[in-house]
Amino acid sequence: MLKVENLHVYYGGIHALKGIDISVEKGEIVTIIGANGAGKSTLLNTISGLVRSREGRIIFKGSLLRPVPHHIVMKGICQVPEGRLVFANLTVKDNLLLGAYLRKDKKGIKKDLEKVYELFPRLAERQKQLAGTLSGGEQQMLAMGRGLMSDPELMLLDEPSLGLAPILVDTIFAVIQDIKKIGKTILLVEQNAYKALSTADRAYVLEQGKIVKAGKAADLIEDPTIQESYLGQKAEAGDRKSEVGF
Amino acid sequence: MIQFLQQMINGLSIGSVYALMAVGYSLVYSIMNFSNFAHGGIIMLGAYFGFFFLTLFNWPFAVAFLGAAICAAALAVLVERVAYKPLRMRNAPFLYFIISAMGASMFIENFVIATIGPTFKTYPAVFSREPFRLGPLFIGRLDTMMFVISAICLAALIYFIDFTKMGKAIQATAFNPRASALMGINTDLIVITVFAIGGFLAGIAGVLFGMKYTVYPQIGFITIKSFIAAVFGGLGSLPGAVIGSVILGILETLISGYFSSQFRDLISFSLLIIILVFRPIGLMGKSTEEKA
Ligand SMILES: Nc1ncnc2c1ncn2[C@@H]1O[C@H](COP(=O)(O)OP(=O)(O)OP(=O)(O)O)[C@@H](O)[C@H]1O
Ligand SMILES: [Mg+2]
Repeated sequence: MLKVENLHVYYGGIHALKGIDISVEKGEIVTIIGANGAGKSTLLNTISGLVRSREGRIIFKGSLLRPVPHHIVMKGICQVPEGRLVFANLTVKDNLLLGAYLRKDKKGIKKDLEKVYELFPRLAERQKQLAGTLSGGEQQMLAMGRGLMSDPELMLLDEPSLGLAPILVDTIFAVIQDIKKIGKTILLVEQNAYKALSTADRAYVLEQGKIVKAGKAADLIEDPTIQESYLGQKAEAGDRKSEVGF
Repeated sequence: MIQFLQQMINGLSIGSVYALMAVGYSLVYSIMNFSNFAHGGIIMLGAYFGFFFLTLFNWPFAVAFLGAAICAAALAVLVERVAYKPLRMRNAPFLYFIISAMGASMFIENFVIATIGPTFKTYPAVFSREPFRLGPLFIGRLDTMMFVISAICLAALIYFIDFTKMGKAIQATAFNPRASALMGINTDLIVITVFAIGGFLAGIAGVLFGMKYTVYPQIGFITIKSFIAAVFGGLGSLPGAVIGSVILGILETLISGYFSSQFRDLISFSLLIIILVFRPIGLMGKSTEEKA
């Protein structure tokens, strides 16, 4: 579905991505794990058209992606950015409707809005509240719901668990599974390697702008070098509850 | 008391035109975080367009009025394309935008001086100078029209921003352009829209001021007042710009009424300095924070 070939990205003199090759197939959850500054967000932002590449190609459903953010959303790729970036000055409902900005099918939008409220009952209760007044976890849910409102085929999630309490992290990862079940393909960037690898089908390890390892998530989680560098403080495998209080 | 009421009415009428100009500053500021000093030039051009449409082309007043607004909108967009877009594409620091804005402003003013000339032009009398009488109060026809037209435009603008999809997209872009691009919002189109709206209202304000006073190349200087009003209300906030403008308009007429008009500008500029020192974000400035 998505193919990234030999991608090079520079910020001025900084060579942030040094020839990245990855692919994502329909229906998969693929994760990219890597330390701070490895280039994970840069990769997602390049796919979304926010950052230009100097070399390489990004192919989505067989055709080359033009690096223009709104065209890319139209093609069916949406990004839930790092730090959520919800529109704090607008209500929860307005945030969600902005997610559907490019859609014209009123009925479909209404149906998807209900679906999002089903997935995140918290948001339904807070429809009229300003997004800036939500808690961090609720803002993450809003950001994901807003992304879903564009009815994407591929969702790019940038560190959805960042800064959340462990119990909320579990909720978020459970929702990621739910999103897969409704037929979305997911490219997930995470620092919480244990959680990401237990959720994903396949994984890539990104170090200093290069993919250093790739494989089935289930295999990588057993890999001794990965365990050493990324799973050092092996997190508790909390059982997933689909709905928890915050 | 009668005199006070009279001054309030005049102040309201002037203030409402300041508001038309101030919202243009505020809209651009909310999206691009810089004060578009070329705005004054657009107001001046609007005043000239209206003048020539009435005198050279003999267009009916309403047509000339609308024509001036549309031309001003087109020119505001042109200024954005030429002077700011190249900077936006390069993510230039905001100082560059200010310098570019000042350059554009000087260009427009000198272009008009060179082509049309520096002389004052007087609008033809579109309607009688005879004021309405409301008991002991005299209400100028032009003042009434200034207030009514401004109020209608401002109400339409606030409706557009608060209740339409495009308006919400403008608010989203004001809050975070990257995030709105990720929603599929064409942020370049948002910038064009904002300049077009600001220019349209500037054109209307230009014609109204041209009719009230006269038209000359430096008439755009009046926008400094609306800029003060926008800062006073809180740059980036539309209600702030409107409230700030009305307060400034009333304050000015009261001062010229009770003291002298010599003090008027002194007081507006002192107000600017006081606001900048004690409350830089203004009455209703944007102070939205994001939670981690
Ligand atoms: N706008 C920018 N200008 C200059 N350098 C940048 C910019 N954005 C990122 N970088 C640099 O590019 C490299 C990759 O950054 P990136 O944000 O992609 O990392 P990341 O893997 O997402 O890290 P994190 O886990 O902290 O989010 C870093 O060295 C960073 O300092
Ligand atoms: Mg990152």
